Amino acid sequence: MKYFLFTLSGIILIVLSVVSIFYYQNTKEMDLSSLAPPHTSEPPSTESKELHIVNPDDPVFYSLQDDELNISFNQGKDWTTVPVTLDELFSGEYNGNRQELIEDSYFLTENLVGFLYPEGQNLESQRVVLLYSTDQGETWEETTVKEPFPGMRFRKVDFLNEDFGYIIISGGRTMSEEGSFVFLTHDSGESWQETTNLGVTRLISNGGFVDESTGFITFETINSGKPELYVTQDAGQTWKQASLQIPEEYNEIFIQAGLPVQEEDHLSLLVNQGPYGDYQGGLVEGKFISEDNGETWEFEMEVEPNE
Amino acid sequence: MNKLRTKNIIGWLSLMISLGFFFLQIGYLVISRKHQVEYVDDRLFYLINIICFIFLFLALLLLIKPTKKLKLVGASILFIFIVGQIYMLISSNQIVKNTVSVSPDWKHVLSIKENMENGDVAYYRDYYRILARPKEVLPHEIKGELKIEWLADDVAAVTFETEDNTIQQFVATYGYRGDGLSYYEVGSVIHGKWQGENIELITGTEGLTVTEKGIQKLFEWDEIEQFGTLAIVLNKNNEAVWTVALNDNFEVPSDYSLPTEGNITLYKATMEDNEPIILDYGGNPELVQ
Repeated sequence: MKYFLFTLSGIILIVLSVVSIFYYQNTKEMDLSSLAPPHTSEPPSTESKELHIVNPDDPVFYSLQDDELNISFNQGKDWTTVPVTLDELFSGEYNGNRQELIEDSYFLTENLVGFLYPEGQNLESQRVVLLYSTDQGETWEETTVKEPFPGMRFRKVDFLNEDFGYIIISGGRTMSEEGSFVFLTHDSGESWQETTNLGVTRLISNGGFVDESTGFITFETINSGKPELYVTQDAGQTWKQASLQIPEEYNEIFIQAGLPVQEEDHLSLLVNQGPYGDYQGGLVEGKFISEDNGETWEFEMEVEPNE
Repeated sequence: MNKLRTKNIIGWLSLMISLGFFFLQIGYLVISRKHQVEYVDDRLFYLINIICFIFLFLALLLLIKPTKKLKLVGASILFIFIVGQIYMLISSNQIVKNTVSVSPDWKHVLSIKENMENGDVAYYRDYYRILARPKEVLPHEIKGELKIEWLADDVAAVTFETEDNTIQQFVATYGYRGDGLSYYEVGSVIHGKWQGENIELITGTEGLTVTEKGIQKLFEWDEIEQFGTLAIVLNKNNEAVWTVALNDNFEVPSDYSLPTEGNITLYKATMEDNEPIILDYGGNPELVQ
């Protein structure tokens, strides 16, 4: 008994002392990484050019240094200049920084790289183009996605495989209304076909496809107080509003739908609280499950943001 | 016999409490890494260690019959351990300064941590009262102390002086006064005339006008910053002048033609001691003097 208590006390004393020192060393610096992921990087070990890499975690690096877009397929050893100006890349309705490319406006893999931007001086009638290369920047192709197009705001290009890709754009915004369009390609970006227009003029929040026929568009819902998600199951020929069964206690709490993802044999969707949500600190999201490929969604549980 | 039994019970109870705190600390270390949470105040870690060890010492005293020599050794170890913990507690707070404040209804804990070396100041959102996660980095370097005032059970105004000698206010909000609306602008829902002692606030189309002791000052909409859905800070020349908060009894009308119910609070941005001023809605004759 006596020895048991002594041993126990000894263990507690030693463990607490060690973890205290460990904790003391660690709390000397505040960990704010969950707030703003840094986009800084080590300079690449290159003989040819030393450029600041914006996306060191991706397989294909890019740099916006010296007012030009350069990409590298070999960890920064060699760089290829993309034949596009930074003014074009940041053209349209965009007020963010020019330190990194507009989110989702580009696609970078070893076999296909592409950049989506509006071209033309007159903002009211620009031409939306995708500049892409399938041979690591040796040759570049430019394909027109839509023309004329006024003030592109939302822009997203993504490929699910080597052939199939989609582009979602919005523009011509007046107050909180705009037009949005979805295009699909089945030939690696060479040609793009516009899908049936949704006819919704609210501001688009996000969109995407989970397979070659099933796609989603979600709209900003700050004023309506409930998520608005549209689904197509026939590659954009028809769109309908998905039905989200929100439990009463989460009404007007979970208001902004994210983008559905495939999860085992069903689809899952996170719905967040919008920029002003205060429930449980404002970061908790609602997880919804769809067993019918995105038409109806049932609430599953609350999810912490980093789960 | 009874005395011995009581001693034993207290001894085992102390041991249980000590073990409870011990596992709390171990659990915290695991959770904090996985979920990026911290104690609302970093100093809690050392305080819990001290409490844990005091209870452990007490348990040993009561459960075994230590000799005088053993008691002396135990007390010395306890003393060294506590001194070490207090040293780390004080020293760590000089590097990352913790400021915490508990809401009047004990439901929220305001936590602000300031890195004294690089000047970073972060506002932390509390979880289960004792844990917190960084929510926002304040855009200013702070000079001196923070002044915290809870304007409602879920609204805390933090006033501070910056390195460039301006007064700024940050408002932490934890609630919502909506009723059938998903989002509202604080400036819009306090439309009209509000009155307090020697002070008047009018919210109009151009902005908010505060009349204090006969002196009128207009704050245009671009000088007004909203925090959550419960408070706004009125700025002039890049300096905070007033915070306006919706009181606990304020009800956001579902229809703007309905009379506004409840009070709002006006709180001056100053480092001197000052009390929040409660304002009554000027449109309600029962409330206006």
